[in-house]
Amino acid sequence: MIPGAPSESSAAAQILPPPGRGSLRLRGSRVSYGGAMRDRAALIEAQIPGLRRFAYALLRGDRERADDLVQDTLERALSCWHLRRNDGNVRSWLYTILHNRFLSDQLRARRRGLHDALTEATDLPGIDGGQDSALEHRDLLRAFSALPEEQRTVLLLVGVEDLSYEEAARVLGVPIGTVMSRLSRGRERLRQHMRGNIDEGSPRRNAGLRRVK
Amino acid sequence: MRAAGAPIGEDDLQANVDGRLPPERAELVETYLAAHPEERERLSQYAEQRAALRAAFAVPFEESAPTRLRVAHLLAERRRNRPGRLAQIAAAVILLVLGGIGGWTAREVVPRLTSSSSAILASTVFDDAIAAHRTFSVETRHPVEVGANEEAHLIQWLSKRLGHRLIAPDLTALGFRLMGGRLLPADSGPAALFMYEDGKGTRLSCYYLAADFAEETEFQYREQDGVGAFYWVDDGLAYAIAANAPRDLLLKIAEIIYRQNSPDGTQPKIPSAPGKPS
Repeated sequence: MIPGAPSESSAAAQILPPPGRGSLRLRGSRVSYGGAMRDRAALIEAQIPGLRRFAYALLRGDRERADDLVQDTLERALSCWHLRRNDGNVRSWLYTILHNRFLSDQLRARRRGLHDALTEATDLPGIDGGQDSALEHRDLLRAFSALPEEQRTVLLLVGVEDLSYEEAARVLGVPIGTVMSRLSRGRERLRQHMRGNIDEGSPRRNAGLRRVK
Repeated sequence: MRAAGAPIGEDDLQANVDGRLPPERAELVETYLAAHPEERERLSQYAEQRAALRAAFAVPFEESAPTRLRVAHLLAERRRNRPGRLAQIAAAVILLVLGGIGGWTAREVVPRLTSSSSAILASTVFDDAIAAHRTFSVETRHPVEVGANEEAHLIQWLSKRLGHRLIAPDLTALGFRLMGGRLLPADSGPAALFMYEDGKGTRLSCYYLAADFAEETEFQYREQDGVGAFYWVDDGLAYAIAANAPRDLLLKIAEIIYRQNSPDGTQPKIPSAPGKPS
């Protein structure tokens, strides 16, 4: 609170001139500034569901750590907003921050020898609905989880997050050709796994189902 | 991605799966696949895979994000953790000490102190809004000067006095109804107060002060003897909302008010006449 009665010419009176017609003149410039902060919040806010999904998938279903990672990302984005390159793509910028944080967290964890515990935390997302298809989904997710990380990341960015190949390349800091080859290798590997799974896995699974009946 | 005449390659096939083939290539790929059914089969398995991964990862995030991931919350936190207030106090202490010694070095710290006018404004508005809330929210007979039954008049009157087009935010989504409002004196001129009440008798004060000279700020939070308050400056107005309510609820209210005052987002909504449930 400003000491002194309102009638005195207190510090507040100098700092807070009474509003009048004159001061309205200034408003034009401030409106755009006001818009800037609102835009920033809105632009970031719109990406949060995708960032959470991506973090969750990267961290193999560890929800708490995924949200930690997203929070980290958002904090960093808010404090570095002015450093953002002006090519306008907030989305790939946010994914880049998240991915870089993910890599550095992982590096740190590995140094502390926590890496094994980390990869074992494989609580895959549950899928509602069909029994048979749910099993197949689970197989797919297990296979997905076993892919090399660089392939997993590309499959997520391109296939799940709908980033363009150019955006994915920017996020990962690799040429587009690398994105394409990781995409193709990842998909093929998953396909091979699923085929193998169906060939070997199906009879056993069917037997199991029959027993229930 | 490739020259129109280039032979079909793996990149084209992947782009086909992602729906990212340029139209002129799409036709070529289609012709190629017609001649290579085993490739078509492979691509359809990729497409299934893609759909299954999307489905698997989409499900858990349809719910809304937890509070700690909300941008408004993060901005408020940042504000709170910023060296701001502490640094200013520290700077003041340093100034006093250096001033005592009479050193020239103190000159460098001076600009930081004078740039604290927004902190002074924040502190003043916080104090005034919380004091007003304490005074009027306990009033049973005269909590407001003009009731919600004269809402149009109330808004017009307060807008005129503050020299800003005010709105009485619509908080019915959170169960708060407008009771009315009043004009209040403040150091720099008149301030406006809108009072709300929810079904459980919790009262909420929305305090406005014209601050045309002030730069926009992020949300700031303060708590005083059980009264919580959020403060921010936006587009020439200083806002403070105060209530005996948890921080999370206040943050939600602050976000709603912020949005309703947004010229580009949701248009300011004038709540429907009182008594009519909306």
